Amino acid sequence: MRYAVRAGDRDLAIEVTPEGRFLVGDRVLAAQVVETVPGRIWSVVIDGAAHEVAFVGADRVWIDGDEITLDIADERAVAAGRAGGRAASARQEIRAPMPGLLKRVHVIEGATVNGGDALVTLEAMKMENELRAAHAGTVAQIAVAEGTKVEGGALLIVIRSE
Amino acid sequence: VANRGEIALRVMRTCRELGIATVAVYSDIDRTAPHVRAADEAYPIGPAPAMASYLRIEPLVAIAKRTGCDAIHPGYGFLSENADFADAVAGAGLAFVGPPGRVQRALGEKTSARRLAAEAGVPVAEGTMQPLRDEAEARAVAERVGYPVLLKPAGGGGGKGMRVVRSAAELGPAWRAATGEATSAFGAPALLLERLIEHARHVEVQLLADAHGSVVWLGERDCSIQRRHQKLIEETPGPGVDESLRGALGAAAVKVASAAGYVNAGTAEFLVAPDGTFVFLEMNTRLQVEHPVTELVTGLDLVALQLRIATGEPLPFGQDGVTRRGAAIELRITAEDPFAGFLPQGGRIDLVREPSGPGIRMDSGLAAPLTVPTEYDPLLAKLIAWGPDRPTAIARARRAVRETIVAGVPTSLPFHSFVLREPDFAAGRYDTDYVSTHWSPPTRPDVREGAAVAAALAGIARLRSRPRPIVADASPWSRSAREDMLR
Repeated sequence: MRYAVRAGDRDLAIEVTPEGRFLVGDRVLAAQVVETVPGRIWSVVIDGAAHEVAFVGADRVWIDGDEITLDIADERAVAAGRAGGRAASARQEIRAPMPGLLKRVHVIEGATVNGGDALVTLEAMKMENELRAAHAGTVAQIAVAEGTKVEGGALLIVIRSE
Repeated sequence: VANRGEIALRVMRTCRELGIATVAVYSDIDRTAPHVRAADEAYPIGPAPAMASYLRIEPLVAIAKRTGCDAIHPGYGFLSENADFADAVAGAGLAFVGPPGRVQRALGEKTSARRLAAEAGVPVAEGTMQPLRDEAEARAVAERVGYPVLLKPAGGGGGKGMRVVRSAAELGPAWRAATGEATSAFGAPALLLERLIEHARHVEVQLLADAHGSVVWLGERDCSIQRRHQKLIEETPGPGVDESLRGALGAAAVKVASAAGYVNAGTAEFLVAPDGTFVFLEMNTRLQVEHPVTELVTGLDLVALQLRIATGEPLPFGQDGVTRRGAAIELRITAEDPFAGFLPQGGRIDLVREPSGPGIRMDSGLAAPLTVPTEYDPLLAKLIAWGPDRPTAIARARRAVRETIVAGVPTSLPFHSFVLREPDFAAGRYDTDYVSTHWSPPTRPDVREGAAVAAALAGIARLRSRPRPIVADASPWSRSAREDMLR
């Protein structure tokens, strides 16, 4: 099985052979990958170099004390135009992190935004919080109108990027 | 202990050491919270919202009376700076671990604290000495002292509702926003205005005062690294504070405390300008979040001293008895996303690995599993590192951050990891603008290829050990068959 991986700023092509060996590009790695805390922490030793990896969020990985983003698409997803793994990053859903009042919407549908642009202001925990775009893209949908009280997790804005 | 989270645990630890039994209170969502498990007794106080639980004076005092408490420790936040609470506790015949209501009233309202400091001969920033009546008055004062100015709630603390106003055009919107936030956060719209000191450091002085008129200062803390005027990192000694400035700040803090008839632990906050001049900001009439850095360099237990003072004992040492050794730095681990403007995050923590080892102290309210409520402050834990000098303390903090894992909610840890490797911080060159000048936009670390490959291999192993169903209701049999077919 082949995987296209984006780990932090690096793109990696990794293959797992039927015998369970790892190939990075065309290089065979002497790698041991052992789960130490079920579902959460792995110990990885590659050619004697010891690493520890913890899965701390949906796409966030702790690696040797640093936190990076990790996106893995397998060959099915790659074949389907990365419909699987990478589709999630092409579609950004801005959701309310907590219940609050949607005070302002700073964008309109169809607007082009850059990563870091303020999209909406949510008043919650007695503070006004600006929710920002993680990546550049186009505002595909504004799901909630200004002045609406929203629940935690409510979809506010959808952004599509190439 | 009229609080929750790490500070309730902090207070209970000292009580346990002193052989003092503790009573916890908890809101409905905190039934299994760490502070409930650490106490000798625990009683429900109401529904999740703080207004319906941790902020209700009458049931808190009633529980303390009923359970035979001698004293109430308010921690920080919640009712810790509520003069009515202090009065109610004293009125019930219990000791309040903090200054009495009259002192809190004199210092809690910021313009009154400014008047008190100015009369005691301590410099304050140019601005209003009474709460502002209206926007027109604010405009007149701003014209007099000159822009930029700072507009802030007269009643509140914790940096909420503060607005920087850089020109006359910005004053109207800022006035309306600050009035709104002051009303919703503190129930009082009163604002004050003072000249903004640019590129200032936020330096504060820890004080202890007993009921017999003795006041000592224990050293300073630089708390300049803030977001939304709220602290993220604190350290002592302050990198920009020399022996003469330290002495001047200590003397000024003692003057304000003495003038106010202060009792118990408190903190005088100052802004220090790049030229070394300083102004008094306000007095925090409680134990501060960042008190452990002072404890590590002085070797004192501030909670134990608070309890002694609250029972009327004199301070066991004078100013000459205060010694400081080494350097300490505190990192606030909060449930906030540093890549999304430090937006608070609720959620469920399902894995925690806390650091330990030489020079590391972890004051933590973390547990796994733990649901992080959005009803309260997002502070989860404080990682405090001590070293014989600042570089050692930083190296230990960096090493300890590397050991720390919190999974389930985004935390401030990636920010701390960045700061501890950042050259300006290492050189002690920072002020209150640090977050906007150094973490805008936020940056993820550039990890080595070996680390990236390791993360990728673990991620693939995880996918393969827990394949996602191809259709939602696929049976494990058809799933594994399909996996095999695709290999």
